Amino acid sequence: MKRLLGVTLGILTAIGGFVDIGDLVANSLTGARFGMSLAWVVIVGVIGIIVFAEMAGRVATVSQRPVFDLVRERLGARTALVNLGASFFVNFLTLAAELGGVALALQLATSVNYLLWVPIVAFLLWVVIWHWKFETMERVYGLLGLALLGFIVALWKLGPDWSTLFSNATHPSVPHGEGHPTWFYYAIALFGAAMTPYEVFFFSSGAVEEKWTTKDLMTSRLNVYIGFPLGAVLSLSIMACSAVVFQPHGIQVDHLGQVGLPVSIALGKLGLAAILLGFFAATFGAAIETSMSAGYTIAQYFGWAWGKLVRPAQAARYHTVVLLTLFAATGLALSTIDPVKVTEYSIVLSAAALPLTYFPILVVANDRQFMGSHVNSKFTNGIALIYLLIILVVSVATIPLMLATKAGM
Amino acid sequence: MAGRMLDAGLDLLDRQILDSNDTPVGKVDDLEFTLDDYGRAVVTSLLLGPLVLGPRLGGHLGAWVVGIGRRLRPDGDPEPARISIDDVREFGSTVKLRIPVEDTGTQALETWLRTKIVLRLPGATHEAQ
Repeated sequence: MKRLLGVTLGILTAIGGFVDIGDLVANSLTGARFGMSLAWVVIVGVIGIIVFAEMAGRVATVSQRPVFDLVRERLGARTALVNLGASFFVNFLTLAAELGGVALALQLATSVNYLLWVPIVAFLLWVVIWHWKFETMERVYGLLGLALLGFIVALWKLGPDWSTLFSNATHPSVPHGEGHPTWFYYAIALFGAAMTPYEVFFFSSGAVEEKWTTKDLMTSRLNVYIGFPLGAVLSLSIMACSAVVFQPHGIQVDHLGQVGLPVSIALGKLGLAAILLGFFAATFGAAIETSMSAGYTIAQYFGWAWGKLVRPAQAARYHTVVLLTLFAATGLALSTIDPVKVTEYSIVLSAAALPLTYFPILVVANDRQFMGSHVNSKFTNGIALIYLLIILVVSVATIPLMLATKAGM
Repeated sequence: MAGRMLDAGLDLLDRQILDSNDTPVGKVDDLEFTLDDYGRAVVTSLLLGPLVLGPRLGGHLGAWVVGIGRRLRPDGDPEPARISIDDVREFGSTVKLRIPVEDTGTQALETWLRTKIVLRLPGATHEAQ
C-alpha cells in the first residue's frame, strides 16, 4: 500500500514537475501563432525526455555516479570543462527565467511589480534549498503544480471544434503568412522546453543521493513512463487553449498573464486563481531544481561533496556555488530584461546544448563494465540512436535559425 | 598497492577519489611519478586541484584554470594538494582511500568557505537529509 502511494505520488509529482516556465511560454506562444501545427514536437520531445531520463536514472542507480562525474571521465578533463561551461550557462539562464516566472506569477496575483518580488523569491528559494528535505520539496511543488490541470478543464469548457484541433495537429502545415524558418525555430523552442538538461542533472543526482537500488528503478520508470506523458498532455492543453482563444484573432502571446487568459475566460476568477497557483508551483519547483543543478554540475566535475544528504557545512563549496549562482541569477532577473525573452533564449539554447549531456550518458548506458546486465537493450538503443540524430540536427540548426529568423521575429 | 600495473591515463586520471567513509575528496587531476632504482617511472602521488589540472588542459583554458586556482588558495601555498599512493586502498571505477578526508590535506578551500561563509548561516549543521 505504501509502495502504491509512493508510485502514485511520484506520478503526480512528475506531471506537475514536467511543466516549467519554458513549457508555459513555448506552448502558449506557439499555440497562439501556429495553432496546433507544432503539437507533434511536444510528442517528439516527451518521448525524447523519457528515453533520456530513463537512461540517466538507470546509469545513476546502477553505477551510483551522477551525470557530470561520468561526463568528465568519458570526455576527458578538457572537453568536459568546455561542456561544463556551456551546460552551466544554459542552466543559469533557465534559473533566471524561472525566477522571473515565479515573480511574474506573484505580480499577476498581487499587482505588485515583479521586480519587487524577485529578491523575495530568491531568498525563499535559498531557505527551501537549505532547510527542506529533498522529497518534501519535490512533492510539495509537484503536487501544487497539478493546479495547472485547470488548462484541461478550461479547454473542455471552451468547447472547441475537437475534430479541427485534432486534424490540425495530425496534419501539420505552416500557417498562412508564416515562414518555414520561423516555424522550425519555434519547433526547436518547444523541443528544448520539453527536453531541458537540468531535468536530467536533477534526476540523476537525486537517484545517487537517495541511494536508489534496482528495486527503485521500477518505481522511477513508472513515474517517467506515466508522469511525463501526462505532463505532455498538460502541455498540449496549454497549446490548444491558446490556439482556440488567440489564433483566430491573430493575438501574439508575450506576457505570462496572457498564458492564463484562456483559463480565466473559461473558468472565471476561481480558475485563474488555480492557474496562478500552478504557475507559482511549477516555476518555483523548477527554480529549486536549476539552482541545485548549478551546484551539481560544478561539484561533480571537480569531485567535491554535494547535495542534501550531507550537512550543508560538509558541502561548503557546493552550497557556495548554489548561493553565488542564485545571486547572479537574481541580478539578471532584476536587470529589467524581459523574463519571457530570457525564457525563449534559455529553451532554444537548451536544445542546442543537449548533445553535450545526452551523448556521454548514451555511451555509459552501453558500457558493460559500468552497467553489467543493465546496459541498454537493443530496443532502447534503437530509439536512443534516432534521438541522438534528432538532437544533433537540432543542435546544428539552432544558431543559424536563430540568426535567420532574428530569434523568431 | 605497490607493483600493480595500471594504465595511468585510462584507469587513474579524472577518477573520483573517495575517503575511508566514501566522502568525496576530489578528482585525480594529475599524477606524480618518481623514478625507482631501475629507472622506471612509478606513480607516487595523486595530485589534486586547479594548479595541476590547468597545465594538463593546456592553452588559454588551462592558464585560466590555474589563474582561478591561485586566487582561490586561502593559504597561498604554491604546492598542489597531494595524496600519497600509500594512502590508496583500492583502484576501481573510483579511487578509495584508507584515510578520512580531513587527513588528506586537500580541503583548504572547502575549510575556508565552511568557516567564512557556510557556518555563519543559520542551520548549517542541521541533520543530514
